[in-house]
Amino acid sequence: MTMLDIRNVTKRFGSLVAVNDVSMRVEAGELRAIIGPNGAGKTTFFNMISGFFAPSAGDIVFGGTTVTKLAVTERVAMGMARTFQITEIFPELTVRENIRIGVESALGFRQRFWLGKRQVAGVDRGIEEALTHTGLTGQADRLVGELSHGDQRAAEIATALTLKPRLLLLDEPTAGMGEHETYAVANLIRRLHKNSAYTIVLIEHDMRVVFNLADKITVLGEGKMLAEGTPAEIAGNPVVQEAYLGKAE
Amino acid sequence: MTAATVSPNTQTGTARPWLTAAIVWALLLTVPFWLPMLGGYTALAARVLVFGLAAMSFNLLLGFTGVMSFGHAAYFGLGAYGAGLTLKYIAASTPLAILAGILLGGLAGTLFGLFIVRRRGVYFAMVTVAFGQIAFYVAYSWDSLTGGYDGLRGFSRAPLHLGPLTLDIVNNDKIFYYFLLAVFAIATGLQGLLLASPFGRTLLAIRENERRARFLGIPVERHIWMSFSISCCFTALAGALYALLNNFADPMGLHYSLSGEIVIMAVMGGMRAFWGPLAGAALFVILQDTISSMTVNWMSFVGLIFVLVVLFFPRGMLGIFQKGTGK
Amino acid sequence: MLQLVLFNVTNGLIIGAFYVLMALGLSLILNLSNVINFAHGNFLALGGYIAFVLTPFIGFWGALLVSPILTAVFGFLIERVLIRRVYARDPVYSLLLTFGLAFIMQDACRYIWGPNGLPMTIPDGLAAPISPDLFFITWYRIFMVAIVIGAVAGLFAFLRYTRVGIRIRAGTLDLDTVAALGVNVGMLRSFNFAVGSLLAGLAGVLAAGQIGLNPNMGDDLLMPSFIAIIVGGVGSLTGTLLGGLLIGVAGALTTVFWPAASEAVIYVIMLLVLIVRPRGLLGEEGMMT
Repeated sequence: MTMLDIRNVTKRFGSLVAVNDVSMRVEAGELRAIIGPNGAGKTTFFNMISGFFAPSAGDIVFGGTTVTKLAVTERVAMGMARTFQITEIFPELTVRENIRIGVESALGFRQRFWLGKRQVAGVDRGIEEALTHTGLTGQADRLVGELSHGDQRAAEIATALTLKPRLLLLDEPTAGMGEHETYAVANLIRRLHKNSAYTIVLIEHDMRVVFNLADKITVLGEGKMLAEGTPAEIAGNPVVQEAYLGKAE
Repeated sequence: MTAATVSPNTQTGTARPWLTAAIVWALLLTVPFWLPMLGGYTALAARVLVFGLAAMSFNLLLGFTGVMSFGHAAYFGLGAYGAGLTLKYIAASTPLAILAGILLGGLAGTLFGLFIVRRRGVYFAMVTVAFGQIAFYVAYSWDSLTGGYDGLRGFSRAPLHLGPLTLDIVNNDKIFYYFLLAVFAIATGLQGLLLASPFGRTLLAIRENERRARFLGIPVERHIWMSFSISCCFTALAGALYALLNNFADPMGLHYSLSGEIVIMAVMGGMRAFWGPLAGAALFVILQDTISSMTVNWMSFVGLIFVLVVLFFPRGMLGIFQKGTGK
Repeated sequence: MLQLVLFNVTNGLIIGAFYVLMALGLSLILNLSNVINFAHGNFLALGGYIAFVLTPFIGFWGALLVSPILTAVFGFLIERVLIRRVYARDPVYSLLLTFGLAFIMQDACRYIWGPNGLPMTIPDGLAAPISPDLFFITWYRIFMVAIVIGAVAGLFAFLRYTRVGIRIRAGTLDLDTVAALGVNVGMLRSFNFAVGSLLAGLAGVLAAGQIGLNPNMGDDLLMPSFIAIIVGGVGSLTGTLLGGLLIGVAGALTTVFWPAASEAVIYVIMLLVLIVRPRGLLGEEGMMT
């Protein structure tokens, strides 16, 4: 089953064409990596998928429904979740409260002024689940703003997971991390993919992470699609090597 | 004591929320006994309660939703006029007057909120000021109804009938104080419940990170609008109580300079602490009372309080008890 | 009737001109520093009072030149000493700071010059009407409008053609980039604040000549200036200019037909604009959200 079907999307900012006629299909359960040099249009592409802004042309179909013009909250309600290159969390709340807000939103309690005992228990169960899933149980009552970079990222992913998303979008999950943290986050993503069968699309700079994790890789360059294929195919692709791997490193 | 039992764990781990609430209630309940000994008078404590409620209601927005209203005097003043007009023209009923005040201020806030909630940061502040002045302008110019510049006079709060019991809140200062305190307890209790509820947590989420809130499926504008509307209802309640306290409603009670004073009360007391704005209101009201009895240039001193708080005391009185990364 | 309309239209233009001077200054500061200067009306009053003090020594013309400059210097110092300290903090603090400043400045003016109105002498030639038929239009009114036009043209030329002006405009769009290019952003903001104060000071001198002096003389202009900015669209100085003129003239025309509603009309215009075009006449998309 196709989870995400992107059909010929283009995004123009004035005279600049940030993304130019790109198409991509992601199957359910797949882990797709999007790579490309700086300015390739990766984040713009991501922003269109998640609903930050609408494309200038083309269509985005998510789980069989066209979502091209839907607002962020509507896409979230359909099962799309995302994290950001610069971690977006609630820094002055504890890990538990961060996750609680996600769980309550996912359970449709957003506008409730009161919860019954059973509902509270359900929320608490969701929180514990997300904590164990991401290995944050020990940090649950610390303020997120005080955690290490890697744990902040884990907390962000944990919060996004509370939505039980059908599609998880991760924008540079290991950006700015050291060796050790990168390893931990990559491991977390692998578990989510292998053990929990999440469909994941991620943008990533770290090639070891990409080639280790991804089922398929999409390469963007100057807003255009350069190549698409399995890690092995991409590694051997001369166009990619010239346009990206050769130039960047 | 409703609020003590629901004192919300909303902010970044206040050191001991129970202790703060206990101290607050112990002080408030015993005011009429010790205040005269310190040279104060009960009406002063009543003003602290009223402005404390206004500042706490305002702080639902600044402290717990993260948006800045500089026009809250409008809803305070509308509450006062709503109560005053009801007592003067409709019926000598204190509960009805309070209800009318809440309705007038709350509806205005709900309506104006529609135009305001899409703005952010200083633009939110700017638009709230401009909308607030609409209320000031109407009260000021509608002479025949509101008394215009001179304010609305000629009404008085009515005794309270509770079944067979009649409370003389008209002539007995102490009974009136405890009446105010009861209303204050209900209002702040509801605010505590609100902040501890899932809806209240979405407001904290918006304050902390609007983008993350949106990507968790929270309709940010609608929730800010709801928060604005609720905050205006409570602020209008405070205004209605103010009219009952003074038997007078004044157009300056709608003016944006009062909005600024409400903001400074919240900040001075600690905008991230539930009881902070009450502490700020107490200090501000007492300082203002003292200074204005000593010098005609009290405005300079009030201005100086603003400047000093901003420069040297930005986290406020109760803010120092809180942890958090701080900004 | 024609005279009445004409009278009110000229009145409207003059009021609009004051709105424009005030609002442009506010807008400059708002756009570059993200600060609403609640004390802007008090800077206006200060400009008026300085002119009042200087006139006996250097005459009206001298005061017209020197007073705005002194107001600008005062604004520069206020920015350096106070306002710059809170740029990095939550915007609520900068608003509270200027709010407190407004209280202090108003009270200081009252303390120094007294609570009652003071007359400002203007040269005899300017006080005379331009013709017996148009007795209500003095040369001073023509002169005010001319000065305001000159000042606004000067401001736009300054922003377009001078190096500092170009930097101010660039900083409005993207302050980080301007800083990365090696521009001293702190000084740029101070200077910009001074320019805003200069405009307020100029408006103060002109207003003093028309309506005399009192400590609250700027207060009535502050709210319309906010509305001029909202109507014109945040981020656009041209929008502020249009907004100020629009509400000034609309207010004056309403005076002809329904005097009681002359002030209400500016709020009505604000509501209409916010309904039909939430970002304001010339506001850029996203600037207000």
